[in-house]
Amino acid sequence: MDFLLSLQGVIAGYGAGDILKGVDLDVSPGTVTCLIGPNGAGKSTVLKTISGLLRPRTGDVRFKGEEINRLAPRARLLRGIVHVPQDRSLFPAMTVWDNLLMGGYVVKDQKAVRRRIDEAAAVFPICTRRAHDQAGSLSGGEQKQVELARTLVLDPGLILLDEPSIGLDPKSRHQVFASIRRLAESGRTVLLVEQNARSGLAASDFGAVLESGVVRLVATGASLLEDPEVARLYLGAGRATALTMGGITPDTGRSPSTITSEGAR
Amino acid sequence: MHALIQGIILGVLTAGVYALMASGQTLIFGIMKVVNLAQGAMVILGAYLSYQLFTSFGIDPLLAIPITTVAMFILGVAVQLLFLRPLKAEDRSELSLLVTFAVALLLEGIMSVTWKTSVRSINTGYANSSWTVFGYQITLVRLWAFLLSIAALLVLYLLLNRTRFGRAIRATVQNPESARLLGVESSRVSALGFGLGAATAAAAGSVYGLLYPFNSGSHYDLISRLLSIVLLGGLGSIGGAVVGALIVSTSSAVVASAISPSWSEMTFFVILLLVLLIRPQGLFGTTARGAI
Repeated sequence: MDFLLSLQGVIAGYGAGDILKGVDLDVSPGTVTCLIGPNGAGKSTVLKTISGLLRPRTGDVRFKGEEINRLAPRARLLRGIVHVPQDRSLFPAMTVWDNLLMGGYVVKDQKAVRRRIDEAAAVFPICTRRAHDQAGSLSGGEQKQVELARTLVLDPGLILLDEPSIGLDPKSRHQVFASIRRLAESGRTVLLVEQNARSGLAASDFGAVLESGVVRLVATGASLLEDPEVARLYLGAGRATALTMGGITPDTGRSPSTITSEGAR
Repeated sequence: MHALIQGIILGVLTAGVYALMASGQTLIFGIMKVVNLAQGAMVILGAYLSYQLFTSFGIDPLLAIPITTVAMFILGVAVQLLFLRPLKAEDRSELSLLVTFAVALLLEGIMSVTWKTSVRSINTGYANSSWTVFGYQITLVRLWAFLLSIAALLVLYLLLNRTRFGRAIRATVQNPESARLLGVESSRVSALGFGLGAATAAAAGSVYGLLYPFNSGSHYDLISRLLSIVLLGGLGSIGGAVVGALIVSTSSAVVASAISPSWSEMTFFVILLLVLLIRPQGLFGTTARGAI
């Protein structure tokens, strides 16, 4: 199978220390994959290594078969990898419309940018409704919708989302995960990091458990949710509360990936 | 009452040039978190360039602005590339104070050697023309200076709000990491932004040279005023710089006209101290990013 993104033996970190200690991970096109794991496992670092904010010390990051280890973030963006960081990433004193325009900053063809903004606005109506309002005046959930819409302006091959539900109220969280499912249904590929593991896995086709800088387990989101060991270690006690909302449970008709103790392979 | 209104007219007309100088200063701070202590020296260099173009070629300082702004834009980009870019990001805010002060001294030295230290002024044919409107005197040169400063601020506003480059600057000011993730090259924006700040200094310098006599040491007085205006308005806010300039300029002129010129400087510093005591972030500190 041709993977859209492949990480092989990626070791990366800041200063002298390694945070990722040999990450192996494959992402298939058109799927949503959720990275879960304890704090400090290196989940956000994986995304930074893919978007180019951090370069791996060793190992391979491949996108559409091309090794992109040494490419600058801008070059990766031009190849279609867009990264939405954990903190609010809109420009608060710019209008929603200007924020969307910034989503296509690297795109030379301005007509294409306008067309994609219209398409994104069709998926996320808030973009039309609040087009001329300052982004900072939107609620947290609305800002997240605009952030997701902004990624579409690049017509991305891969969307990296770092903790998309952080700081949101339950209703907004619900909307965000529903939006992620809509992205997947329209053929986008999403890799997300989520502390709210139950909701993240429920919205994902696949899940990967990252622990101490290594991917320990890869399986379908549904099977990870049902795995008692995963539930005990990473999902917390209590019954699954995630995504009882209608219509957004992912397609779990796929045959589960092999669950290994050494990562995706 | 007459003196008060005359003071307000004078203050408002003078405010434009200070707003222009301070907008460059605040723009540079907004983009790079660099307090540019060379901004005053750049204004004076702009004034000297206008002076030279006027005395050597007879070019009116107001018409010389396109030439001086382009020259100073290039100088600004060069200063950023040579002296500021090599600084590590984590030390930049502190070290840039020393570096830009050194640049100010370097420019002062170059100006002293080139134009000597005697005081210069640009005396155009309309330098002493004035109109009397309802009993209030409006000098033509100040009116021109005001209109030109407003036009330059308008150009800056349109550049920041209506162009792709302007959007990139505002994005960098508001959320540098996010801007980088969307493909904005912060180093390029910083260099061009510093150039833009220097270009506004050049435009302001041409106007300043028309209004006041100057020499190479005039930048010390200017930079203290500029920093005060920018602090008053809120670091990083162009709208704040305009309001700060209006307050500084009008209060100085009103006190000078109505009471005594010797009190005018002090009045402004009292206002600055009060504002900083009550609102340390400046008048527009919290909404600073909105203006840029």
